[in-house]
Amino acid sequence: MIDDTCLEIDFPVATAGDIAVNNLESARQQSWSRFWQEPERPGIAECIVEQEQLAAQFLGDMGALDRLGTLVNQLARVDGESARTALIHAQFAAMIHRFAEAKVHLGQARVRGVSPDAANRLSLSIDQACGTRLQAVLEARRRRAAGPGRLEDLVPLGALLADLGEFEEADQIYQRALSEYEEVSPFAIAWVCFQLGVLWGELVPETQSSRAAQWYRKAIEYLPCYVKARVHLAEIYAHDGRTGDAEALLLPAVASGDPEVYWRLADVMVATERFADAEGQMQAARSGFEVLLGKYLLAFADHGAEFYSTSGNDAGRAFELASVNLANRPTLRAFELAYATAVGAGVSDVAGEILAAAKKRWAATPFFCLSPLAANDRCSDVIDDPRWCPVSDGELT
Amino acid sequence: MSDHVDGPRQIGDPAADLSDLFAFTSPEDAGRTVLAANVFPSAGPSAMFSNAINHSLVVRRVIVAGFGDAAKFKSGDQEYRFNCRFSVLERGPGGTDPTQRGTCTFPDGQKLDFVVNDEKGASTPDGVFRVFAGLRSDPFFLAWLPAVLKKAPNLLQHDNVLSIVIEFDTRRGLDSDKGSLFGVIAETSPALRSASPIGHEPPRFDWIGRPEQTNMRLNNPAMAGTDDLRDLWNQQTPFAIADEFQPVFRQRLIDSLTNWDMRDGHADWTPATLAASANVYLDDFLLFDVSKPMSDTSFLEIEKSTLHGHAYQTGGGRTVNANVIDIMITWMVNNDREFLQGGATGATKPGGNSFPYLASPNSQLQTVVESVDLSAQADQVWALIGPFDGTWHPLIARIRVTGTGVGQLRTIETIDGKLIIERLEAIDNSQRFYRYAGISGIQASDYTGTLDVKPKGTGSSVEWRVQYLADDQPDFIVKTIISTLLKTGLASLQARFGAQK
Repeated sequence: MIDDTCLEIDFPVATAGDIAVNNLESARQQSWSRFWQEPERPGIAECIVEQEQLAAQFLGDMGALDRLGTLVNQLARVDGESARTALIHAQFAAMIHRFAEAKVHLGQARVRGVSPDAANRLSLSIDQACGTRLQAVLEARRRRAAGPGRLEDLVPLGALLADLGEFEEADQIYQRALSEYEEVSPFAIAWVCFQLGVLWGELVPETQSSRAAQWYRKAIEYLPCYVKARVHLAEIYAHDGRTGDAEALLLPAVASGDPEVYWRLADVMVATERFADAEGQMQAARSGFEVLLGKYLLAFADHGAEFYSTSGNDAGRAFELASVNLANRPTLRAFELAYATAVGAGVSDVAGEILAAAKKRWAATPFFCLSPLAANDRCSDVIDDPRWCPVSDGELT
Repeated sequence: MSDHVDGPRQIGDPAADLSDLFAFTSPEDAGRTVLAANVFPSAGPSAMFSNAINHSLVVRRVIVAGFGDAAKFKSGDQEYRFNCRFSVLERGPGGTDPTQRGTCTFPDGQKLDFVVNDEKGASTPDGVFRVFAGLRSDPFFLAWLPAVLKKAPNLLQHDNVLSIVIEFDTRRGLDSDKGSLFGVIAETSPALRSASPIGHEPPRFDWIGRPEQTNMRLNNPAMAGTDDLRDLWNQQTPFAIADEFQPVFRQRLIDSLTNWDMRDGHADWTPATLAASANVYLDDFLLFDVSKPMSDTSFLEIEKSTLHGHAYQTGGGRTVNANVIDIMITWMVNNDREFLQGGATGATKPGGNSFPYLASPNSQLQTVVESVDLSAQADQVWALIGPFDGTWHPLIARIRVTGTGVGQLRTIETIDGKLIIERLEAIDNSQRFYRYAGISGIQASDYTGTLDVKPKGTGSSVEWRVQYLADDQPDFIVKTIISTLLKTGLASLQARFGAQK
């Protein structure tokens, strides 16, 4: 049963979600119009990157990735040798999880004189997403967040702490982000609320679905069209038997075209024994994932693996995608997914190799003991123990 | 860009970002004053105001407290505050555009409800106050690259903003019998939280007095490596800059004005007059005198005359069509020795003489882009398509050219007998690029096309881009016509040169 008591926090006032979305779309179109008039105009491409990222992150608008690809190609045509083009290319590559490519372009951007702050910010994001240099990333994130906290510094710190198993501190950082927020954009506030939902609903060892549901509800309150928040809350509702509420949450999000919406809707329909309808939704989910994987394999490999290992019911495809994801960014979570899908696909020898590789890379870290891969392993318990830094291939002696 | 996107804190919600402030005598009635403030730079066609923001225009009476190098404008304590709030969106039936309403509270306590984008606006029953709020063509124009002081086309061409226009009976609205010189600022501030806050509330998101205080003076784009003071400035209380920060801002203004003075390599200001004008700029409010005439050229006249040590002659202020950037740059760079005209003489649309004075919004330029990658070298492809009179396009029967070089006209006869006339606007054979403007033949205005060829891999890439405003017919029809024209042309190149593998 989900506890609907209010969160004991005073929330910032923000622009109504529908106004903010309306204005994002309005500004996004205007930015593109200006870009096409003068692609080299200072600031315009950077502005489009931010707006398209918002559209992808909050509205589930995956067309944003196609549009960003157009932006990058156009910049390469008209301003191919500039630092900003290299940086934007690196940002786009990182966004679609082509991290190796992102590093190359980031290196070019640095050589061409891009601002060190912008380059370092992206570099931290890439390392964090790949699970590399985590101790250095943590120190840098703490330094950035030490001053007057800006949301774009605090939220990644919270996410990193959560990855490192420091859940209470992650919660504090997120709440600090809320309390120090001084603007009225609902996107920012909804983002923090969503992160808190993920923290308590998915990352902590003993999940607290009530607590997570409250945060997801808050995110949706700020931003009714927040597709990911709707999907995550619907999962909790469905798990709690509230299939009607889950379906009501998902239906308005169908227009986004996000395959995860179809997937969860199919699950709800199966739970309510509407099998024919469920099959239709499952087909839409499958084809939606395949379209995305065809265009942006690395960006959606983990999501695809999760889909195919559960409702998508294709253990082989799940293992294939999880392997791609692991090769691209060997985070602990990527190892967990690859191991689980290998077991699911019945390739126990490969699963054993993945487990061994995971231990080789991550067992020295204190948070490894929280992983399902750690069964019976002894864990370090001091986070600043120098040994906790993950060991990359070739470094282990 | 009078004060557009002027600090990192403004990037959160563009509807909180104040771009411009105006104060002028109503062209319709000399007994009425108009105050206007713009938010949301580069707003798109559907932009709406934030419902979480107070939009205020605040007027204080001002006296001239010193002349010459001791020039000083001192503001009084009494405030005339015009405050506008906006509602959430009201969805219309059947997918019609949403409606937004607003409420303005006036200095005398009257409240007035209005509908956003209603051109007629709304008036109080006593007729003293009238309000409009909604999307308008951005009246600001900036036609310089400020960092290098190089002329450029208007950087805000075709842009729109959200405007709040308040017109009122001057005598009743401002008690102008008690003094006629005023300073006005605009600010955006947060609506209150529903309960006691944790953390702290920012007092305001943004504020503006004279144009470009932040982006051109405090953060002079030619002074690389200096600290960005814009956030600190935006956190100051208008009419009351904190004593502790005044030296920092004053020194930055002196440094910046010195830099501006030397942009033409000639010192037109003495250190003493520079310091005096820095002090005047430090009191950042837009001055206007309701007893004197305000015109498109009276902007800053009050400050200039006072710094020169004599009584001002005009009402100063800032009209919608005032060329504020050129007036300001001229004054800062050469102390009015020689007028510096930027690359444009007006905004996309001039303001009008009737309420709400700011011009109707611009239509959004539409873009069609097509490209093709070819196996042939760029020079080889350009040799075919680069000549402005080239008849390589399969839909073209013949071309007749009038004139030579940039400015020449080509009259295209299509294979179905249609005539299209285009003018060459720019060409660079070394970069394999030309740009042309449509004169007639396609039902669109502001029609420009760009054709270029760039090396790509072992071959080349051709891009053809057209921008336009659809004239009196659905955009998709124009878009289809243009898209077909472009695709057919590029497909013929692919057939001729082969696609790049």
